[in-house]
Amino acid sequence: MAVKAVKRIDLSLAPLVENTRRVIKGLKLHTICDSGNCPNMHECYGSSTATFMIMGNVCTRDCRFCSVKNGKPQEPDKTEPGRVAEAVVKLNLKHVVITSVTRDDQDDKGVFNFVETIREIRKRSPGTVIEVLVPDFGGIEELIETLVRARPDIIGHNLETIARLYYLLKPDSSYFRSLSVLHMVKEFNPDICTKSGIMVGLGENEDDVIEVMRDIKEIKCDIFTIGQYLRPTGEQFEVKRHVDEDEFQRYEVVAGSMKYAYVIAGTFVRSSYRAGEYYQKYQESRKG
Amino acid sequence: MKEIILPELGEDIKEATVSFWHHKEGDEVKAEEDIVEFYTDKANFSVKAQASGILKAISVKEGEKASVGQVIGEIEER
Repeated sequence: MAVKAVKRIDLSLAPLVENTRRVIKGLKLHTICDSGNCPNMHECYGSSTATFMIMGNVCTRDCRFCSVKNGKPQEPDKTEPGRVAEAVVKLNLKHVVITSVTRDDQDDKGVFNFVETIREIRKRSPGTVIEVLVPDFGGIEELIETLVRARPDIIGHNLETIARLYYLLKPDSSYFRSLSVLHMVKEFNPDICTKSGIMVGLGENEDDVIEVMRDIKEIKCDIFTIGQYLRPTGEQFEVKRHVDEDEFQRYEVVAGSMKYAYVIAGTFVRSSYRAGEYYQKYQESRKG
Repeated sequence: MKEIILPELGEDIKEATVSFWHHKEGDEVKAEEDIVEFYTDKANFSVKAQASGILKAISVKEGEKASVGQVIGEIEER
């Protein structure tokens, strides 16, 4: 079994990290990088990128691996889409990832805030590639269609784990509902790139992961990420195993033989990690 | 003097534990070489020397905790 891997930090990036944080705090925005204690935060902030988390930092679902607080969230702030767009301009982002907490308390499950945020970014920074990483919107077709009509470039929705572990780790969610969300996006508009991801080290085995990859192919998902689960604090689900780089490589090889999803696998891979760079690579791989 | 500072690691992370110094005080170090490792509840981290020279001081020893922003060591540049 592999030991816990080491994330390298480049201290010379510290001033850029400070600057990115200042912009984010100044505009009173949240990022999953900070809320999730992501080990890549220093690297990403240091290259002036971040994954914005909209509609607050309190979530209506309580997934066992996640450190975002569960509870009753505040009403979404109407000025937030404009502030996100402002951050995109200030940080000069060529590729932005917008995610959110799950908002089961809202009639629209929060989809209009995504739509407004996409609209504001398009207005202020038309050249920016917009990636949204969304909750399942209850699997409601019209809400997913609303999002698709707003034309983000990429719609991501993470499966997070294998079907068998949902009852334990995502008791408020359903693996098959999540698959159907990604499937619906492709049905509504095949030109939108779809993306999903899982974490490993939660109790699954290699065959389980390959089973998920088959499901991903079935629904024509374009990009799939696999990364090591790391416990955010002592309060979350424990790490069952540390996956070694050979196993991650085997997933990439299997993916190559499956000829559909572009798979990115590695210890510190997260669905939003180097999202711009991997999206470019994916596009090149499609041409080739 | 080039200070080695414990970097920002996330919103809620205020401190980390130094796990390993690759050198002793007084050793020569080269820029870009791994110099110190530390860990939080979530992950292990490693940083490289930002300058070549002598590792002049180790102010936070292996097994000890440091706060984010704290100077944990110093390199006298050559």
